[in-house]
Amino acid sequence: MKNREQRDLFPGALEMMVLRTLKRQPLHGYALAQHIKRTSNDLLQIEEGSLYPALQRLLKEELVKAEWGVSSTNRRVRIYKLTAKGAKHLEHEVSRFETMLEGITRVLARGES
Amino acid sequence: MNWLKRMFARRRIYGELSEEIREHLEEKVEELVANGMPRKEAAAAARREFGNVTLAEEDGREVWRWPRVENMIEDVRYGLRVLRKSPGFTAIAVLTLGLGIGANTAIFSVVNAVLFRPLPFRDPGRLVVVWHTPPQKSFPGVTKFVVSPANYLDWRGQNHVFEQMSAVGFRRFNLTGVGQPESVEGRAVSADFFSVLGVQPVLGRGFLEEEDQPERGNALVISYDFWQTHFGGSKDVLGSQIKLDDKSYEVVGVAPVKFDFPYQAKLWVPLAWTEKEQAVRGNHGYIVIARLKPEIEMKKAQSEMDTISARLAQQYPADDAGWGAVVLGLNLQMFQQVGPALLVLFGAVGFVLLIACANVANLTLAKALGRRKEIAVRRALGASRARVISLVLTETILISVIGGALALLLAHFVIEAIADFIGPQLPLAVQIGLDGWVLSFTLTISILTGFIAGLAPSWHLTKTNLNESLKQGLGKTDADSSGGRARSVFVAAEVAVSLVLLIGAGLMIRTLYLLRNANSGMDARNVLTVTLGISSEKYATVAQQNGFFNHVLQQIRALPGVEFASAVDSLPLQGGSIQPVAVEGQPVVPMADQPEVPVRLIAPGYLRVMRIPLKQGRDITEADNANARPVILVSESFARRFWPNENPIGKHVKLTFLPGEASEVVGVVGDVRLNGLSITEPVQSVYHVMAQNPETTFMRLAVRTGVPPASLTSAVTEAIHRVDADEPVVGVQTMEAVVDESIAQNRLNMILLSAFAGLALVLASIGIYGVQAYVVRQRTREVGIRVAMGAQAAEVFRLIIAQGLRLATTGIVIGLAASFSLTRLMASQLYGLSATDPWTFIGVSIVLLMVALAACFIPARRATRIDPVVALRYE
Repeated sequence: MKNREQRDLFPGALEMMVLRTLKRQPLHGYALAQHIKRTSNDLLQIEEGSLYPALQRLLKEELVKAEWGVSSTNRRVRIYKLTAKGAKHLEHEVSRFETMLEGITRVLARGES
Repeated sequence: MNWLKRMFARRRIYGELSEEIREHLEEKVEELVANGMPRKEAAAAARREFGNVTLAEEDGREVWRWPRVENMIEDVRYGLRVLRKSPGFTAIAVLTLGLGIGANTAIFSVVNAVLFRPLPFRDPGRLVVVWHTPPQKSFPGVTKFVVSPANYLDWRGQNHVFEQMSAVGFRRFNLTGVGQPESVEGRAVSADFFSVLGVQPVLGRGFLEEEDQPERGNALVISYDFWQTHFGGSKDVLGSQIKLDDKSYEVVGVAPVKFDFPYQAKLWVPLAWTEKEQAVRGNHGYIVIARLKPEIEMKKAQSEMDTISARLAQQYPADDAGWGAVVLGLNLQMFQQVGPALLVLFGAVGFVLLIACANVANLTLAKALGRRKEIAVRRALGASRARVISLVLTETILISVIGGALALLLAHFVIEAIADFIGPQLPLAVQIGLDGWVLSFTLTISILTGFIAGLAPSWHLTKTNLNESLKQGLGKTDADSSGGRARSVFVAAEVAVSLVLLIGAGLMIRTLYLLRNANSGMDARNVLTVTLGISSEKYATVAQQNGFFNHVLQQIRALPGVEFASAVDSLPLQGGSIQPVAVEGQPVVPMADQPEVPVRLIAPGYLRVMRIPLKQGRDITEADNANARPVILVSESFARRFWPNENPIGKHVKLTFLPGEASEVVGVVGDVRLNGLSITEPVQSVYHVMAQNPETTFMRLAVRTGVPPASLTSAVTEAIHRVDADEPVVGVQTMEAVVDESIAQNRLNMILLSAFAGLALVLASIGIYGVQAYVVRQRTREVGIRVAMGAQAAEVFRLIIAQGLRLATTGIVIGLAASFSLTRLMASQLYGLSATDPWTFIGVSIVLLMVALAACFIPARRATRIDPVVALRYE
């Protein structure tokens, strides 16, 4: 069993990826998990289970909303949608992340030369 | 409200979350099966990919909670469930802590009432008592002394540090005119007494300045209780006339409820000193209280009083040389009365609580070891260590809080008993009871106790290796022995602490025994005493007064069952008059430099009644009357001090306070402990004769009887009333009761300390029993093997007993070491033995060892009955 600390890259990363994925299209939990895994080329080791506490956090903050529906495979699923507040939050988080990433990259690049 | 809606919505949210997770897993399985994986494998793979299902769900739920609060509530509910499931454990643990906390609550409520609560006066921090400090030459060791009228008036007139200063004198009045004649405790006070304290009468007023004059001093303030008992609380009381010592007083005020300052006063009258009384400088008898001016520090007041005292000593060397003054806070006075004894008791109950804690920790640990599997499962499912610790702590805190509730109930009953004992020793009525402070104290120590009791068990539980714990049932593990070690440490500590308490109690018991059997110099058995005061209005001349007392004594001597009767002004053990004397053969010095000795006034036959031995010369007789030359008796140590190598008979002593010529010593008598049983320094005293005293209005009659003394109470009372039906007869007491009263404080301390030590002993033996019982259970297999290999029952028995004794001995050794240093703290309360009295130390250790042995007995017996066949199959 992995520790919770090892599960995320950094706090909030999972939430950011969830929001980004949902921005493209509303998805239910399982599809969301598969999508993130697939898109990251399985580079990120994410326990599927850890998705759910993250989703609950986003629900509580009202960054996403959920509705019960039927999936393409004809299952009763709960489909998550990005809210306006969520979209704004994502934008903010992404730009913060990019700034941070740029900073880190520069330092790392400088170190190499 | 948003959060309120959320609370109600939660059940739905949790349901949806579980459903969603279930769907997720199913979808995964379906997909894997569709890809050709067998269903069973697929289910496992899906779970592996998902991770910890329960934890994900828990974490998901937690998002919606106030985690701390709700975890706590959940823990409490869980804890209550666990406690309900094991009622035996719960009852013992609650009772144990209830007793421990109850003892602490009771003692704290006294400490709180006596030491912490502000006095019920206006701005009590500025109230002080000003005492004389007597010359050490005449009063060795005495640091506080009452004040003479003239000095008080000078202090009052000359100081710049006190707002007001009031003198209080102790009086006993014969009350007639309302109901039965009786004798009441009264105080004569200066007019500003009530305003110094800032106390407002509930009815009427305090005294006016003009009432504090010799001709006008017939105003009277009565206590609230007196008002209720004598006037039925009627508002018409103001203006009523009351006769005190045959003088008429008018009621002008009623004091507030509970106000009885100082020392259980029932009424107050103005001092109303005559000019002659105001001039008295060498005879001390008043308590002086004062209120500091704002901004004036205690130190400043002290230095001002030093200056004034020095000036007075110079001005009146005959009376004031060597007499200083000391300013002490009134609240400090309260503390000094009972503080030291209270602190010993507070320490004792603290120890009892520690033992209770150790016991509950032990019980919890024993129970918790049985729950190791449950805890291990919890940990395996992802519960953090902190979470498990908090679970166990919640349980012990629950126990101790319930125990705390029980404690309040217990304390409620104990407090009344303590209050009855301690009340009369305080200068002021205090309300000892369960107030807000006591309640918060109890709650605080309850929680703290539960925390301390739960700390070790929870620590042990969570540090155990998960794998080992899950394997429990396969035999012993390391964790068992380490838990066992902790339990052994607890038990040894319990034994040590109980030993300290038992030794403390043992010392007190021996003290009381030694005091009770101390040679006081007189024989208290078969003596009845009666307090008799007469009015100096009705019996104005000394002839009339003596006539009355002699007549009464004759009547009593004639009663059947009476061997003899006599009288004295103050009974032995109760203190009394101390006066300066001029002794023949000593240099002539002013009064201030004269030696001060106890002086007693006696009627003929006093020695015979009290069985005080006559060592030399003769006793006083009826012939030593007002017309004969004055004679006195002196005590052996008096004679030895002043005439070490001479015959004391025929020497002369002048009682400075008495008019007339010096008295001739006609006899030497044994020393008597006049000031209390525990004061062993020989009392150098003087006895002079009632018939030769200028005024006698108050005597204690002493009657030696051939029958049980109390049975003569009514006969003696009737005899007195045959002489004068108006004189109140009070304080009819056997001399043995007087002795008991003089050591009441020692007895109370002894009883309380013994009770607490007894409690400690019971708790410690429960602790030893618990550990041994547990050890036997743990070693069942081992014992089974031993028996199977041919070990005899006696060997098994010895095995278990030996282990128990090892614990007890360790505890006793530690306890002895601790006692050596701790009992010194109570040295001031001991009599006739040292704080490290070897007999007590050895005796108590043996008793404790015996009790430990008894506690090991049942588990050891059980071990001998172990059937090897069953034992080897055990678990």
